[in-house]
Amino acid sequence: MDASDLKLLPPDIAEAAATFEAQLDACGTLDALMRLKGTFTGREHSLAARLMEALKAAPKEQKRELGALANQLKNAWEEGIKGRQEALEAVKRDHAAAASRVDPDLPPPMPLRGALHPLQRLQDRLVGIFAALGFHIEEGPEIETEAHNFDGLNIPGDHPARGSSDTFYLEQHPDLLLRTHTSPVQVRVLRRLAPELEARGGIRFVAPGRVYRKDDIDPTHSPMFHQVEGMLVGKGIGMQHLKGTLEYAMRALFGPATAIRLRPSYFPFVEPGAELDVSCPLCGGKGCRVCKGSGWVELLGAGLIHPNVLHYAGIDPEVWSGFAFGLGVERTAMMVSQTPDLRLFFENDQRFIRQMGGLD
Amino acid sequence: MLIERKALETFLPALAGLGQPELCEHAAALGFPVDGQEAVDGTVVLDIDVTANRGDVMSHQGFARDLGAKLGAALAPFALPAIEEGPARVEVLLEAEACPLYATALLTLGAGATPEPARTFLTHMGAPAKGLPAVDASNELLHLYGHPTHAFDADKLRGAIRIRYARAGEKLVTLDGVERTLSPEDLLIADEAGPIALAGVMGGDPTKVTETTRRVLLESAYFDPRTVRLMARRHNLHSDASHRFGRGADPRMPRVARDLLVARLQAWAGATLEGAWAAGSEPAPAAPIAVANDLLERIAGEPIPPGEASEALRALGCGVEASAAALLVTPPSWRHDLAIPEDIVEEVLRLRGYARIASTLPPLDAPPRTALTAYGFRSRLATRLAHAGFHQTVTYGFVSPESEAGFALNAEGRTLANPLGREYSVLRGALLPSLREVAGANQRRGAKEIRLFEIATVFEASPDGPVESMRLAFVWGGVRGGEDFLTPARPIQPADLAGVAKDLGFPPEAIEVRALEGGLYGVEAPLEVLAWPSERCIPAFAPFSRHPVVERDLSLLVPMDLAYRSLREAVVKALPGTGVLRRADCVDVFRHKSLPEGRQAWLLRFAFQADRTLTGEEVDGWMEAALAAARSLGAALRT
Repeated sequence: MDASDLKLLPPDIAEAAATFEAQLDACGTLDALMRLKGTFTGREHSLAARLMEALKAAPKEQKRELGALANQLKNAWEEGIKGRQEALEAVKRDHAAAASRVDPDLPPPMPLRGALHPLQRLQDRLVGIFAALGFHIEEGPEIETEAHNFDGLNIPGDHPARGSSDTFYLEQHPDLLLRTHTSPVQVRVLRRLAPELEARGGIRFVAPGRVYRKDDIDPTHSPMFHQVEGMLVGKGIGMQHLKGTLEYAMRALFGPATAIRLRPSYFPFVEPGAELDVSCPLCGGKGCRVCKGSGWVELLGAGLIHPNVLHYAGIDPEVWSGFAFGLGVERTAMMVSQTPDLRLFFENDQRFIRQMGGLD
Repeated sequence: MLIERKALETFLPALAGLGQPELCEHAAALGFPVDGQEAVDGTVVLDIDVTANRGDVMSHQGFARDLGAKLGAALAPFALPAIEEGPARVEVLLEAEACPLYATALLTLGAGATPEPARTFLTHMGAPAKGLPAVDASNELLHLYGHPTHAFDADKLRGAIRIRYARAGEKLVTLDGVERTLSPEDLLIADEAGPIALAGVMGGDPTKVTETTRRVLLESAYFDPRTVRLMARRHNLHSDASHRFGRGADPRMPRVARDLLVARLQAWAGATLEGAWAAGSEPAPAAPIAVANDLLERIAGEPIPPGEASEALRALGCGVEASAAALLVTPPSWRHDLAIPEDIVEEVLRLRGYARIASTLPPLDAPPRTALTAYGFRSRLATRLAHAGFHQTVTYGFVSPESEAGFALNAEGRTLANPLGREYSVLRGALLPSLREVAGANQRRGAKEIRLFEIATVFEASPDGPVESMRLAFVWGGVRGGEDFLTPARPIQPADLAGVAKDLGFPPEAIEVRALEGGLYGVEAPLEVLAWPSERCIPAFAPFSRHPVVERDLSLLVPMDLAYRSLREAVVKALPGTGVLRRADCVDVFRHKSLPEGRQAWLLRFAFQADRTLTGEEVDGWMEAALAAARSLGAALRT
């Protein structure tokens, strides 16, 4: 179609026809396109409708030429609009498809997550290790008598630990104190089970719990801390059984390659007494800061139950014997985790608990 | 305790060829781990850890004795100066059993000074020489031989020396310059003018040796360990002497130590001996201890040939007589810790080395324990709370009385007599005050959401002393959500905590959510409110209905002040029992200005199920009844 053809058209239609392509290109949305469609090819008042009217009113000799032109224009407009519509619909489909796509890399909503306190976890682990060896759990009160905390454990009446500079006493009840170790649980359990000892065949338990000592709060001291105590009573129990049990437990705790060694030591409620060292869990015994280059870390106190402790509980030490051990949970936790300051365990910063604790 | 290697070798020459690491190994194997070592002046000073039962090792001689026994090496021959005892120059009267033997000597000092080697040695012991030969020699002897001695300025003494208990109210200024008020349990050295020393603990200031002292009276005695321990504790006065007498000195040493001290003063200070004498006698030696071979074998875990055991014990200074089934062992005078057969067995094992003890698991001879323990129950509960998003805390069992403000608790009967401070003076009656403090600390450190719990003991006063019980408490506060693209942020509300409590198995009446400050809420309850899990691993099977569940909603407009609990109770009462009604819950609350004023909309959801297929008509009937019950409380159907 050339410009001379358009001269046959009414001037406004001719002008619109000349700018159709540009207007079509300017339609960025389907709505705009529909408006353009109405303007050009709508049933009423559109350019195409007026073209038909103009055709009807045209002189006869122009009808043929004008008719061809009108058809040509109308077809071009319809084709153009249809093509544009398809293109715009395709874009819309693409957008919709993109919108419905799930981006798997967006951070998802997470279930709430808390954590057990690291001391609880270590204590549970220890209790679990000894459970595998048949040690059940015994617990005792935090407020104790001197009888259970000291007398029954062969701790002499003038022992400095009994002093008010070492042990917390109650104001209105001077005979009561906050237990300074979990060992009074030994006294309680032995006394309770003594009458049925023969029928039971033996006693074995671990006693985890909170204990209190009058220490000022600093990076290595706390007036409250946790211990796990263990005890076994049977017939013919000797140092070899203590060693075997602790070797099993330490390997369960630190790994199968862990070595242990017992050294003579002294606690009033055991005889012989021993201190247990484990091969350094951090360097494996090669020597590091934690073990001060020695390859060994001191971990717990132990020994065979002192005959006086059995006597006190009403158990005949000529027939029965056993061993006992006790471990500080905080000290062990600090050692394995390299936590520089004991106070962190009692500050209870949620970040610390999440980092050091966990869920099992 | 500090040990100078050079001095140690004079007691045990065999050490000369032993490397330092080997020496440390042997020391640890004997029960004396080396806590530190420092090379000084061409020798090494070791800091060894001596247990409270081994007062006899608190000297170079004592440590050498154990090492020598371990190494099978003899101590250097002991050259005792020959000093003849004569008549008493000053009368010594023993008036208390706690001092059975008091050896002494009177000397006139000449010219001279503490020799350089002794000064160096004392520096290594952390007790630099005073420049007074009588004092320095006494100190040197203490570190070398372990027996504390004392020198008085003889010219400051008046009349006879008495070893007696104090009279109430007597006073003594001790060498540290502190005036001590004495009690009748204090054992004294006294002259006619009054107390001159706290026996075995510390000398008195007025009679001490000074630069102007011309004549000295020496003291080398044996004091009862318990008496000395109690005195040291009573006066909070822990000295080198009280540590050694308190753990038990060697009763054979008083004369020996006196003679060594005399010889030193003669050599160092040109002293002239005017007389040496003693009052009293050595306490009777301990009775022999019979150690059955069976006991030795049981504890060691293997038979130990009696010959080997005897040899070890003799090396440690014990007298041993062997019979067919037992060893009769007489401990040496310096071993106060050997009292029962087990003590003797420990000595045999100690010398053999604990490393030689076999490692065996004991036979499993106690009955199995299958039931869930209280510990296990708490442990499970803690794990559930951790999985529900809460952080477990461990807080002190004692708190400040102020921290419990607002909790209607009375500190009476729960206070400590000797707390670390007011902040830690009351055994806590509740856990929430502790959690509130921890929450505050976390908030100050920037935590947007606080989720904490603790399971611990609380204390309640009673006439017989505080009663302990286990509680669970948890707090939740701040804002939840807003951290991902799906979950909107919103403040924590009490219902959030009620939901946790319900999920843990709290019965509805035990759920009490407490508003703490700062948008924090808490729940605390005794553990007994939670049902103990069944002992059965899997409970008995109960068949469930295969008939369909019919679910219906009821949308109500209710007065703002109507309590949900009363509405629910009324509605449930109007419906068939739990055999059919499986659910009746509010699932939505709607409050909006478009609703009539003073009203809110509740959407109740019901589920019905029976052992037959329910008909639409009967469910419609129940819903009518439910609506009627709701209407009776002022509710209306929302259309």
